Amino acid sequence: MTRASGLFVILAALAIAAPARAQDSQFGLRGLGTPGRWESVRARSTGGAFAPFDAFSPLIEAPLGDVRRVSASANGGESWRTLDFGTESASLRATRFPAFMVAGPISQRLVLAGGFSTYLDKSFGITTRDTIDIRGTPEPVTDAVTSDGAVADLRIALAARVHNRLQLGFGLHGLTGSTRVKALRHFDDSTTYRTSTATDEIAYHGLGGSASALLSLSADLRLAAWARSDKRLRADIRGRTVADDDLPISYGGGVQWRPGTQAAVAAAVAWRRWGAAGSGSNAHDTFNWSVGTELGSAASPVRFGVRGGQLAFGPGPKAPTEFGISGGLGKQFSGGRGRLDFGLERLQRKGPGLNERVWTFLVGLTVRP
Amino acid sequence: MLLLGLAACYEQPTAPGVCPDFCPGGQITVVDSVFTDVIQRDSAFSGYVEGFQGEALQVTDLPGVIDSRAIFRMNAMYTRVTNRVNDTTTYPITVDSAHLRINIVRRDTNATNLWVKLYRLPIDIDSTTTFAQLAPAFTDSIVDSVNLSDLLRRPKQFDTATIRIWGDTIQTDSAGHILEVGNVDSTLLLLFSLDTAKARFVVADSGKVAYGVRVSGDSLATIALGSVESDRGADIQWYFTFPDTAAVAKDSTAHRPAFFDSFVFNPPTPPLDSNLAVGGVPAARSLLRFAIPEILRDSADVVRATLVLIPVGPVPGIAADSFRVVARPIVTDLGAKSPLAINSPYTTSKIMHLNDADTVRIELTDLVRAWAQDTSAATALVLGQAPEAATYTQARFYSSRAPAFRPALHITFVRRYVFGTP
Repeated sequence: MTRASGLFVILAALAIAAPARAQDSQFGLRGLGTPGRWESVRARSTGGAFAPFDAFSPLIEAPLGDVRRVSASANGGESWRTLDFGTESASLRATRFPAFMVAGPISQRLVLAGGFSTYLDKSFGITTRDTIDIRGTPEPVTDAVTSDGAVADLRIALAARVHNRLQLGFGLHGLTGSTRVKALRHFDDSTTYRTSTATDEIAYHGLGGSASALLSLSADLRLAAWARSDKRLRADIRGRTVADDDLPISYGGGVQWRPGTQAAVAAAVAWRRWGAAGSGSNAHDTFNWSVGTELGSAASPVRFGVRGGQLAFGPGPKAPTEFGISGGLGKQFSGGRGRLDFGLERLQRKGPGLNERVWTFLVGLTVRP
Repeated sequence: MLLLGLAACYEQPTAPGVCPDFCPGGQITVVDSVFTDVIQRDSAFSGYVEGFQGEALQVTDLPGVIDSRAIFRMNAMYTRVTNRVNDTTTYPITVDSAHLRINIVRRDTNATNLWVKLYRLPIDIDSTTTFAQLAPAFTDSIVDSVNLSDLLRRPKQFDTATIRIWGDTIQTDSAGHILEVGNVDSTLLLLFSLDTAKARFVVADSGKVAYGVRVSGDSLATIALGSVESDRGADIQWYFTFPDTAAVAKDSTAHRPAFFDSFVFNPPTPPLDSNLAVGGVPAARSLLRFAIPEILRDSADVVRATLVLIPVGPVPGIAADSFRVVARPIVTDLGAKSPLAINSPYTTSKIMHLNDADTVRIELTDLVRAWAQDTSAATALVLGQAPEAATYTQARFYSSRAPAFRPALHITFVRRYVFGTP
């Protein structure tokens, strides 16, 4: 199999790959969803600080110029989340498969990549109890609304080493996915009142584009900058458009410094204009930052990171905040042709009426056949 | 990684909803509405079941309201027998007595001083016989009578066989009446002991006899007798002798069940009018056609549907004679001859209490839900009485031709949930 045909097969497989499914945050319930993290396990273990410099993080395209041979990477994880509403609390668990990517050089200076990641997670399930008055009689009811699915970001990216110190990247993003939704009302008096069930499948479509640059100021110091613009996200039910929401412009940058052969430090910032995109009354512009380090040899590094910032959706005029610490390690095998990355992340999110605490265990696999 | 991908199918995503901040934007909205114009082209039809086809024979005496009497004719009896095997010579039988058994399948347990009276009737009674035609016989041909209230108070006779095998109890009086109370369903088997004067065995009539039953009492004088159709019809056991080979009288018996039974009552069931009729004799049914609103088909989920019927007036009678009004869907709409959906899970019913003019509400939830989902279904039902032609009672409800009191459908539904918006 040639390099090009191999890429084609993998990209075709991506087209039928199931989108990620998970429930990342209750704050996204009244918004478009919970924005995904465009980070590999390696980058996420550093709090996200290494994402602008990591070829296998779907955040930006320019680092793909570092890929010298066909490589593939997949990430997955499991999270345990505790919700504290003040009067109520709950514990949730989710398993997800949020990112996959394959990349390979198509010429000496050009690298082509494709893959998918989670753009908006839309899986959730909630139950509520209430008593309503029907025909003059109070009737206790239980409502359950569930959604299962996500909007995936299918990306085709091209990176070019235009100069020894400068790499540029461009990406075309197809936003697609679907959710199976169900709303159920169960009456305690099930002899008199039948359970009402409504189900549907919502299909999502959107487009976006991105550009990025990676500048090596010296052998030890790199700067990254990126920008991305996503168009409207259309939601269709049985061919009828039920929502057409603006998506944000995002941009950010980072710096990475290698003080030695076995140490790297990075910091990154990102802005996303969810509020300005008008994606609902409880959408907020967000600013996120992260700082992280990778220590040790390339064969078995240890990583640490810290992140902070805001969440895109939440009640009230101020955006909910997020703070997290993370760590992880990597291990190369087969003479560097494969690498396993493990990460553990602890997040705390705070907003009006809700505190979330999340433990996430991450695992990633990168192979270079 | 493969294992991780497979594990992606498992989630535990349900959390308590704290609304409105942490709930989806859509709301589950319940709407309760009375649709007054969905029932159209409703009609009543009569003649489905005649009195002689009913499962019971109503016997009631409520002066000034209803007088209902059971009538039955017993099967013919042989009049000659042979007394030797393979002998063609026959000898006349000589009847000396009989036991007539009737099955009381329903009664008002609060009835006081309830008398059951047996009358001899002409043997030519049939389905065309009227109350008026039998009035003379019911006046001057009394055969026997028994105070059922008194009999029920008498000590129970414990027959080892009936007690041990069936658990029934037996009560008797000095006149030879026997009352057997069934252990299974509490029905009463009442046996009259009849001599040759009470049970006239006329050879020229082939032993056919006909009887009528009336009741009287201080209050709540009503019973229902089992009929041939319910396999609980009257039965007569003849006791007779015939000469054996030595010319000595030899005893024998023979059962003869009722060949025909019915009941007549006064005043008779009135003719149909513009209202919806249910019950009576002959049995009337009402066909109700429904125009299901489009909103129920494509934008709502019915959680409760109730048919609302306003009676023209109370059904007079004794409370124990209350009956069920049954709503049965039809297979296809052929008017009066619309075939009923037999054993349909959507069949529902409601007890129609006598002397009560309250609005009658029949739950049709499952039927209306089925109609809302199946656009090819015949959206009509038939209201009937259960059992039919077994009582003098008939309910009348206002039809759609009475705008102020027309039947309606009270529907509680959940509006279609709006998915896709935050």
